[in-house]
Formats: sequence, C-alpha cells, structure tokens
Amino acid sequence: MTDRMRARLRPRDLLAESLAGLFTRPGRSLLTALGAVLGIASLVATLGIAETAGNQIITAFDELAATSVVVTTDQGFFGNAPQATLPWDSEERLTRLNGVTAAGTMGSVPIGGLLTRSVPIKDPLGLTEFQIPMIAASPGLYPAARGSLATGRWYDRGHSDRADRVAVLGTGAAQRLNITRVDQQPVVFVGDHSFVVLGILDEVERQPELLNALIVPEGTARDLYDYRSPDTIQIDTEVGAASLISDQAPIAVAPDDPSTVRVQAPSEPDDVRAGVEQDVNAMFLILGGVSLLVGAIGIANVTLVSVLERVGEIGLRRALGASRRHIAYQFLLESTGVGLFGGAIGASTGVLVVVGVSALRTWTPVLDPRIPLAAPLLGALTGLLAGLYPAIRASLMEPVDSLRGAA
Amino acid sequence: MDDPLIRLEGVGRTFRSGEIEVHALRQADLQIDEGDYLSIVGPSGSGKSTLLNVIALLDRHTSGTYRFEGTDVTELSDGARTGLRAHRIGFVFQSFHLLAHRTVTENVILSMLYNSVRPKERKARAMEALERVKMSHRADFLPVRLSGGERQRVAIARAIATDPAILICDEPTGNLDSASTESILALFGRLRRDGLTLLVVTHDQTVSSHADRTVSMHDGFLTEGAAA
Repeated sequence: MTDRMRARLRPRDLLAESLAGLFTRPGRSLLTALGAVLGIASLVATLGIAETAGNQIITAFDELAATSVVVTTDQGFFGNAPQATLPWDSEERLTRLNGVTAAGTMGSVPIGGLLTRSVPIKDPLGLTEFQIPMIAASPGLYPAARGSLATGRWYDRGHSDRADRVAVLGTGAAQRLNITRVDQQPVVFVGDHSFVVLGILDEVERQPELLNALIVPEGTARDLYDYRSPDTIQIDTEVGAASLISDQAPIAVAPDDPSTVRVQAPSEPDDVRAGVEQDVNAMFLILGGVSLLVGAIGIANVTLVSVLERVGEIGLRRALGASRRHIAYQFLLESTGVGLFGGAIGASTGVLVVVGVSALRTWTPVLDPRIPLAAPLLGALTGLLAGLYPAIRASLMEPVDSLRGAA
Repeated sequence: MDDPLIRLEGVGRTFRSGEIEVHALRQADLQIDEGDYLSIVGPSGSGKSTLLNVIALLDRHTSGTYRFEGTDVTELSDGARTGLRAHRIGFVFQSFHLLAHRTVTENVILSMLYNSVRPKERKARAMEALERVKMSHRADFLPVRLSGGERQRVAIARAIATDPAILICDEPTGNLDSASTESILALFGRLRRDGLTLLVVTHDQTVSSHADRTVSMHDGFLTEGAAA
C-alpha cells in the first residue's frame, strides 16, 4: 500500500464541489442565508448607530460649547411675559462667581431705523448710507464672546462711564462702511451723532451677530438712545463649571425672582451618551443576537434536509473514494458559505441602515471599519457552527446504506 | 507478484441486531484473477449484495481473510480502504447515481476528484472514457436528457475513467429494457477484451451467461458454477 494510494481531495476541488452544492439550488441557498442576513444586519446597524450617536455627543461636547452659558430675559412662550430686565452690573456680579472666567452683557439699541454712514457728505452717485444694527455691549463681552480684533482696541469701562462717542465695528459692518484702518481715528455717523471707531472686530466664537453691528459702550447707548437694559449675558466658564454656573447665574442676576431669566447651558455629555448607548445597545444587540441564533438554526435545518436529500450522492462519493472527512468538509463548507454570504449581505444592509438613519437625523455616520469586515466572518462562523451537526451526520452514513437509500 | 487480484478465504459476514445474528455470508472462498469476467447470481436475500459490498471494500467482513492485490485488507484502516476504492475499484450501480445537475462530463470527472489524477488531465481522461462507452457525443448533456441505457454507459465511463483494477457492477441492467441491456452487455464484452476485470452481480440469466465464470449464492453460501 503506497502513500500514493491514499484518498485525497484537493482544496480547490473541495471548494468547487461545495459551491456547486450551493448553486444547484440558488433559491434555497438565498433563503437560507436570509437568517444570517437579518442577524448580521441588525448587529452591524446596532453597533453603527450606537457609535454614530456616541460620536454625535462627542462632537457636541467640544470645549467651546461646554464653557458657554448664556442668560437671557424670559420672553414667555408667546413673547408676552412681563418684561424682565437684566441689571447693569451683571458683569461684576457674575465675574465674582467661582468658575466664571469672563462675562459680558449686550443688547440691541433701538435707533429707530437711523442709517449709518462713514462720510459726512451725501454722494448722489454712490450708496454711502447703510442700515447697520447698533449693539450696546459691556467691556467684558469681548473676552466672554472670545472675540479677536483685526485692528485697534476694544473700549473700556471709562468710555462707558463717560458716555464717550466711541464704537467698535464688526468686520461685516466695517466692510460696508469701507473702513479698514483705525490709526487715523475714522468717524461714523448714525443720524446726527458721530462715533470714533476704536477698533474692528475680526472674529467672535460666540454671538456672531456682533460681526455685522456697530458696537457701542452701554453708557453711550443709555445717554444717546432709549436703551433701558441689556437683554443677553454671555458667560465664559472654566471647563466643567458650566452646569454649576448655569444654576448660580439666575440667582446672581435676579435674586428677587430667578425664574424671570432663562439660561442656556450645554447638556451634560455623560448623561446623554450613557442614555443613548444604553437604549440602543442593550435592546438591539439582544435582537441581533436572537436573529443570528434563529438564522443559525435555519442554516442547520436546511443543511440537514440537504444532507438527507443527498444520501445517494453521499454514498456515491464514499464509493468513489471520498473519506468521511471529505464528506464532512463538503457540507461544512456549504453551510459556511451560506453564512459568509449572509454575513456579507447583512453587513452591507447594516451599513446602509446606519447611513440612512444618520441621513434622516443629519448625523455623521460613524462605524468602526473593523465591524463591517468582521461581520461576514461572524456570519461564516455562524454557518460553520450550524453546519457541524448535519456534516457529522453526513460523514457517519454508511456507503452501503446510502447507495440503497436513494436513486 | 503472482497474487491473484482478489482472494477470499473463509470470509464471513454476520449482522447482529440485538440478540439475533444473521449470517449473510458464510465461509466464502473465491479467487478473481486479472482479466476475469465473473458473475454472481442468486435470488434476493441470498447474500450476493453482502458479498459484493465486502469485495468492494464498502463493508467489513467479520471472519476469514480477504487479500486485495496481495494486501490483507482485514486490518486496513478506513482511510486506507477508502484510498483503495478511489484508486483501484470502479463502481456501477443499478440506479446509476448520476448527479442530476452536472453534465455528463462533470459526472465522469467526479470519480477523479478523490484520487491522484491531476486536475489538468481530468477532462481528457473523461473524454477518453466517454469515447470508450460511445457517449462522447452527449458530453455536455444533463443526465435527465439521456435514456436509461445511456445513463448507465455514462456511469460506466465514470467508473473506468480512473483506470481501476476491477469494475464492480451491482445489477447494472436491473433498471434497463432488453435493448439497453444488450448494448451494456456488448460494452462489457469490449471492456473485458481490453483487459478489464469485471465482477457483475445479477439475478438475470442473460447477463450472467455472458460472463466467463459464474458463482451462485444461496442462503449465504457461495458455490462455483451457475445454480440449477
């Protein structure tokens, strides 16, 4: 007996035989794979949506948002609540609080539609007058809004106390008025009043309406116009202090009735994320696991039926020299193939679901690239495990019985 | 080596079902030489299928000695017996056992999957075998489009494609009409003239009369010559 006489089966032939087994009944193979498709799809979708939602929260939790607290007067649900006012010294009251790095008040100045111009002459050919909103702001707003100046300086408390006719231009307003430098002390006119431009605001990270406005000291606005009180307070806090400050700020600015002011503070990221992940993960992971289990049972069932149907073929192969192991491998590979196919389709479906859900909620879809790659392997593993019993049954069949069993 | 192809000495096969013992084959002595054309006849239940399964290494005998090409196969492992089947034995069955979804050529190639025939040679050898059974004109047909006799000829091509030492046929004409039977018997005659060793189990006198030698089975006993 030479070694040459051993029964053998080349891996390529084994693969070809298994594939042939699958493609003999494509409809049945597809339906069998459906169980794995559903299971893998729900697993991938679950993990993807949890990750996407988690990422969404992380995005929201950036340092800028987490350190910003905004206090406004409560306008009531229909804007008709009794008009509350914010005190003039809000800035001092709030900067005394531990955890506040800067605070500033601001409010729109009612200038009654007056136009602003940069030159005192009327040019009949060009547009020299613009409707530019005027905002009164306390000196502390500049750091609180995280502003940066293109040129010049921001006014200080002295300007406000003296009601000096000075202003800072937002970059948008400066462009319209054609003012690019302040070293020669340009002047803008609002109605009959003139203001010396001290600086041009280049950028702000908060309160972007400042960029298109003419910003004047509160004392100046009070003196010239009917400016009664600021309506917004921008607070910049230490990282992690926002939630404490949002509790304390209403009491600091309205100790008689804190409910008259409204506070916008960032939500606590930990709570939100934990909530989302718990909800999404627990339920859908169980659902995905159950679907996968059902899918595995389906694959096992169909493979077993297929084994029983192909008793004659098994007997023939054994007679032709297939060993028990060859028979087992063939059926194992068939069920693994079904699982792999189902896993691949399921992974694609899962990814599509993640993208679809993200599109509906305008989220950025996020998915660990290893998940869609590992999913087909999980499907294949499911198929492999599901095929174990049928494959063992097939390999234990006696060729004599099998050949008699079926035509 | 002057060993006969197959030598059975006192071979028996006993089936045990609980307390009951069934002696399907008792003390069988048989020698098959290379080039023999032997038929085994006997009524159903006489044990001829058991004898065939033992000779074909599909079943293990429970007593006696069985030498295949000089090798005592009694002690051989399952794997080694499977290897012998793959390389040295060709099978033909009553119900053909062709795979319905494979073409004629693919069915013939199936027998070469489990032995040492190189993948590149398979197609050529399959065509050669089909030529020998005069079925090469149906190479791309599916079995459903063939008649019974044609299917059996494809099955024979599958069996001889591996160049076996012996062709073992279990009621090869059992499902065929007389015309097809004639053509299969003529084919056996040709194969035998080419030097192939043939062992045919049948209960059909016409079939056994074509063989050089006939042994009869009766109640598990083997006797040389056709039974009365």
